[in-house]
Amino acid sequence: MLHDELWRANLQLAESCLAHPFVQALGDGTLMADLFRTFIAQDAFFLRAFLNAYALALARSDDTETIATFCELIGGVQEELKLHHVYAAELGIDLGSVAPNPACRAYRDFLLRTAWHTSLGETVAAMTPCMRLYAYLGGELALRCSQQHPYRRWIEAYSGEEFERLAGRLEALLDRVATDTREVRDSYRYALQCELDLFSGAFCS
Amino acid sequence: MAIPDHVLVRNAGSLWDQATHHPFLDALAAGSLVEDAFRRWLAQDYLFAKDLMAFQAILLAKAPRDCHKSLIGGLAALEKEMDWFESHAVRLQLNLDIPPHPTCRRYTDFLMRCAYTQPQPVLLAILFGVEASYLAAWSALVPSGPCPCAEFIERWSSADFAAYVAALGELAERHPHEAAQEHFNEVLTHEGEFWKMSWEG
Repeated sequence: MLHDELWRANLQLAESCLAHPFVQALGDGTLMADLFRTFIAQDAFFLRAFLNAYALALARSDDTETIATFCELIGGVQEELKLHHVYAAELGIDLGSVAPNPACRAYRDFLLRTAWHTSLGETVAAMTPCMRLYAYLGGELALRCSQQHPYRRWIEAYSGEEFERLAGRLEALLDRVATDTREVRDSYRYALQCELDLFSGAFCS
Repeated sequence: MAIPDHVLVRNAGSLWDQATHHPFLDALAAGSLVEDAFRRWLAQDYLFAKDLMAFQAILLAKAPRDCHKSLIGGLAALEKEMDWFESHAVRLQLNLDIPPHPTCRRYTDFLMRCAYTQPQPVLLAILFGVEASYLAAWSALVPSGPCPCAEFIERWSSADFAAYVAALGELAERHPHEAAQEHFNEVLTHEGEFWKMSWEG
């Protein structure tokens, strides 16, 4: 299956994300609150672009099954954003006035350019890594997540069955609407690179 | 010449200098630029121009009547420039079928995202930023001795190019927008990054 092949072909990038000092500190609970706060703000900014990209992909879908899947996936992002809003309220983040850092801007620009300007297949290929990567990171970090872990809610959200199910739905869609082209491979790989850059951007802020 | 007297340029502050002066350009004019850097710039600038063509086409589609002459002229000039790049690539045995450098990609992703999501006056300010900074960067160069790059300097310092940039500046003034400066400034940041990438790899 294409989704599996793309994931395996780019596993090194996913492993670099897991090994990133930011993710490691998030996983062992030593991440400074300020850095987590910045990360949540940047991630929430990016997720709004992710919602737009789903909506654009939905608009160019012509069968009801694909449309229904995108509706479901949009619902998933809205749930994810609820978590960000809870964190924003607790940490005093004004989500309406987040200034994106360069890594976040680059990822947003790439995603929206892809969604507006390229094929449905390339768009889904640009969106799948985000879902699969977070399911992977959530699963790995959950293995060492205690009851008292300061970021337990975050880890549980991404290691939960529902998030895994949605990642699987998107991957199934990728297999259905995308073909194995240079553009699709490039889209998938670059999205993972953007994810890695996002962690670096959050860590350096 | 070549620093357009324009409100967007004046309000850009130091970003303008960062976008229009770089050791890459100095070395090019001095004839001391290493070949790798020149080849990298040429290939990446070609990839940039391909996307700029799409950006300009979308802007044209959104633009009101008074913008058509300049924008269509700009598109026709860009099409000729693509031919010119391609002929240089053949001469230098340079492969243009390569992936964009991340810096080039970030710049063109920004352009294309804006092309679809920003109103036409903002797109005019963006295009003015792209072209005005290029005019200023190249026309500030004085080749020392017989420079193999004289042809490049002439291209982007020419009276025709300066007239096109002046026309874009007038259009940007005639169609102001509160988000114009922010996007103009972002163009300048990308321009500076592009020179840095050409120089450093």
